[in-house]
Amino acid sequence: MSAQSTLFSERAEKWRFKSRFSERTRNAVIFSSSLILLVYVLAPVAWLLSSSFQSEAEIVSVPPHWIPHEPTLENFDAIFFQEFEEVTYDTRRKVDPAAGGYIPSTAKDLVPSMWNSFIVSVSVVILNLLVGIPAAYAMAKIRFWGRQASVYTILTTRVIPDIALVVPFFLVIKNLGLLDHVLSLIITYLAVTIPFTVFILVSYFESLPDELDKAARVDGCSRFQTMTQVFLPLALPSIVAVMLFAFLTSWNEFLLALMFTQTIASQTLPIVVASFTSDFTISFSFINAAGVVAIIPPVILALFFERYIVSGLTAGAVKG
Amino acid sequence: MSANMKNLRYRLARRFNYEARSAGLFILPVMSVLAVVAVFPIVYSLYTSFFSLKLTRPHRVPFVGFDNYTKVLGDELFWESVLRTVSFTLISVSAILILALFIALLLNETFRGRRFISAVILIPWAIPTVANGLLWKWIYDSGYGALNGLLMQLGLIDKYVTWLGDPGKTIPLISNAFVWKEVPLAAILILVTMKSIPADLYRAARVDGANLLQRFVHITLPSLKPGFMLVMIYETMMAIRHFDLFFLLTEGGPADASHVISWQIYVETFRNLSFGTGSAMSYILAIVTFALAYAIIRTLGRKI
Repeated sequence: MSAQSTLFSERAEKWRFKSRFSERTRNAVIFSSSLILLVYVLAPVAWLLSSSFQSEAEIVSVPPHWIPHEPTLENFDAIFFQEFEEVTYDTRRKVDPAAGGYIPSTAKDLVPSMWNSFIVSVSVVILNLLVGIPAAYAMAKIRFWGRQASVYTILTTRVIPDIALVVPFFLVIKNLGLLDHVLSLIITYLAVTIPFTVFILVSYFESLPDELDKAARVDGCSRFQTMTQVFLPLALPSIVAVMLFAFLTSWNEFLLALMFTQTIASQTLPIVVASFTSDFTISFSFINAAGVVAIIPPVILALFFERYIVSGLTAGAVKG
Repeated sequence: MSANMKNLRYRLARRFNYEARSAGLFILPVMSVLAVVAVFPIVYSLYTSFFSLKLTRPHRVPFVGFDNYTKVLGDELFWESVLRTVSFTLISVSAILILALFIALLLNETFRGRRFISAVILIPWAIPTVANGLLWKWIYDSGYGALNGLLMQLGLIDKYVTWLGDPGKTIPLISNAFVWKEVPLAAILILVTMKSIPADLYRAARVDGANLLQRFVHITLPSLKPGFMLVMIYETMMAIRHFDLFFLLTEGGPADASHVISWQIYVETFRNLSFGTGSAMSYILAIVTFALAYAIIRTLGRKI
């Protein structure tokens, strides 16, 4: 950090290039833009969070209560514990749409759909690594005929819009009898995630020195051993980044899941949440609570592995 | 000597064979998976686009040649949806590029709290589009939404506005939701490029007396070209095909105001159950996306 030099700052030779005044302006600019950025990013989420803790009576107040005056957990309670409740006068609004602020009976689907999402995402991540790592290693380090062509082929498949894949997938999956089965999602998500996985890994492997490869080969490692024992440990940041990307893509995917799932046997979290948003009788605060439940797992993952995203992309993706 | 040469050649050949064989073996899984999940569907889609395949009439599937294409290209609604997709893409991608540049400039500096901010900006990127959709739908809500409440409290409007119900505002509002979610990744890609700019360039420019603006225009911007290009290609592809927010926020409405190509394909295929024309449209979209990506690479002049 001692010799840092960016557009604004000159650390190494401060005495020469920087007056006290410009230091102060720089800090003021950085502080205010950080503040604006934080508000831009966090305000919408904070609003969602705040309204998920409000009761139906409070959420329709004009002007809106930015901070709940009487915070309640009833919406989350409906998601996680609904099935244990009996219909009484107090809980009637969960069964009767006419009572206003209706909580749908499908609220209990949220937890199983989360499990479906989890199964699909984890399977997609594992399959991505199994097929992606060897391919990326070969494309980055082995000189063979058709190397460049195979890189381009894989990138090209990602250019195809998802919606163009929907029709053929639909027909094939219907014929295989896999409609409404998580397997249909696992298979189709591979088309969406693998090109990106290979792209990131190829760039990362390419950034590792060729000498390592040669040395390992001279020492008698097979190609497989070179990959698993020399390159895998070194590529760990990009592998974590790739896992995160594949997981989040699968967890968040909407269009294909919308087409191929019909019941809670295979519906993923986004589908169940979306089914609430189109129904005007459903309580606003309940929908917002469902949204909060949907964003918590991916956000925790992203924050936890944040440093791998930058370092995993740094060496590769955008090389000059 | 000759024996040696022979030996060497033999070893080279064997080595090459081993290299080629292992490369083939390593690539085989990914290629077979992609053949099944990407190449096959796209070929099948081309095939379907030459037939009049309607699920409302499943047993008669006549070959119609290019009729689906001429039908689609002759449809006024299709061209209107193309126009809407173009405006959505232009608004979104330019906003993403500008915002991402500013965020990257900020995060490239060293200051207290930088780690915190660079972690927090990932939140929009991580949340599911569905959550993004309901989040913004709720903010834009005409009765109880945050946007109306905020503008009202600030005194900028005197009565509640039906944001998404106004055809003139629909595309920019959806675009805003899209940009909010896409900016973090774009900013990180640009930041990563920015970090690779050698410090010596800035130092040399300072020695030569270049001011902030000159340093920005002559060093920062040109060095960011690869990052910009990647972001442009990626985000253009994402915006052109974007479907989720149109489905979640407006379902193509009000009237036709957010009837974009992806929505048109969805309606044609899954509501009119006309798979032939749906495939033809998807195919046109795929070709256009491909051509655009290629054009961006060519004009900005660098191979990935």
